[in-house]
Amino acid sequence: MSSLMWYIYDFARKAWTDAFTNAKSLPELAEKPIRFRDFPKVNKEYCIGCGACTVSCPSPNAIKIVREKDDESGEGLTYPVITPGACIRCGFCAEVCPTDPKTLECGENHLIQPEFNIIPSKKQYIVDDYLCIKCKKCMKKCPVGAISLVNDKLHVDQLNCIACGECIDVCPVNGAMKEVFVENFNGQKDLILLAVNYIEDFVNSKEEDLRALEKDSLLQYDLPLDDIMDEALKIIPDEEVSFQIISNAINRLKIRIIDWDKDNCKKCQLCIPDCPTGCISFDENADTIVRDKDRCLRCSICYQTCPFSVIKYFIAKFSLADDRIIHVTVKASNLNEEILME
Amino acid sequence: MLDSIKDVVRKSSIHVCIVNCGGCNGCDVECVALLSPRYDLEQYGIYVHNNPREADVLLLTGAVTEQWRENLKRVYDKAPEPKIVVSIGNCPISGDVFNQEGGHVYAPASDFVPVDAAVPGCPPRPSEILEAILAVGPQAIADRGREKK
Repeated sequence: MSSLMWYIYDFARKAWTDAFTNAKSLPELAEKPIRFRDFPKVNKEYCIGCGACTVSCPSPNAIKIVREKDDESGEGLTYPVITPGACIRCGFCAEVCPTDPKTLECGENHLIQPEFNIIPSKKQYIVDDYLCIKCKKCMKKCPVGAISLVNDKLHVDQLNCIACGECIDVCPVNGAMKEVFVENFNGQKDLILLAVNYIEDFVNSKEEDLRALEKDSLLQYDLPLDDIMDEALKIIPDEEVSFQIISNAINRLKIRIIDWDKDNCKKCQLCIPDCPTGCISFDENADTIVRDKDRCLRCSICYQTCPFSVIKYFIAKFSLADDRIIHVTVKASNLNEEILME
Repeated sequence: MLDSIKDVVRKSSIHVCIVNCGGCNGCDVECVALLSPRYDLEQYGIYVHNNPREADVLLLTGAVTEQWRENLKRVYDKAPEPKIVVSIGNCPISGDVFNQEGGHVYAPASDFVPVDAAVPGCPPRPSEILEAILAVGPQAIADRGREKK
């Protein structure tokens, strides 16, 4: 009886009634913590349909890529669909997703960008395996030991590299060690396109010199770079970077030129069926052979076909040094002579 | 009158048996976490017996393996009516990572026993398991009980 009295007394206490009536789960039990990696979130509109998420997924049936029906407004969207019954919330799909911003979001790991260099540098040094002769001179020269032999190939550890550029100076093979500008890839492409188009237009404008060019002789021109430098600086405003990109491109550039004197052409039309892209055609109204410059591959098949040697084929090479003048050298191809010798 | 008393009792006192039919034990560990003071499963009137003969709820984990195909039905038959089955995790739903080509799992578990509720996740959070048992369990048991009459 006394224990019953004690129970009644104990339950009547204010602290007990307060605790009993206001009892609720702690928020950390009821809610998911912010760091919790939940099922992936799909942003349909960014998907490019590459399928990287399905390949990376360890669980079969977890991700399916679907495509909506086409309608009047355009093509249906392609996007991944996550099945919660098979997804293990590992977040691999979000990490491999190549789009920017990400199509799949899962946790926070995929949002961490790896830092590639301890010293802020616009350049990254990489080894071209194809050209590298593995003399290891760069390995001995490197002041921080960032270059090492991995799987029989020289490898630059980007985390240790201080971008001093000494490996390039010591490399005996031109182009085996490369410095790559890591920022603004689209700008770099535009810059190279600008330079190449400028040079090509210049060479094509020298039509008469080309036609008068003798066998085994060279045509040489000097072309000032400053004509396009103003425009180049609009694309990439850094003088040093844009000059380096243009000179890298121009020094490796080789342009092939196909040209013929329409007056000497005998209109035999043998070159028309041989052209692999079908860019040569016969204009019946003007009674001439027409070449579509944009579709032409410069493959030289028409030059080798022409029985009257009317079509001329030239190879132009370029060099650009610190004097900011592009040296152009044009040489007639001797492809046909070599064939005749055999 | 008797029915309503039975309903109240069934709703407030749920006996659970965990059946691991061939999984990685991850979901079982999450179920054990429910028993810990942090989640304190017993405050909701849920008791884990691991004995199908006195269970109202069978917690199913794991993709069904070769040996479990027959045994799962036997375990299910041993549980007294009214009983419900809650499958925990992805394995009983789809087989998850074990359901590879050439594998020997027989997911989904609903091919062998009727599954009332499924909790996706690999593994699901303890709070999700608890939520599923409490949301589905009491009413389903009460409904099952009335079906028999």
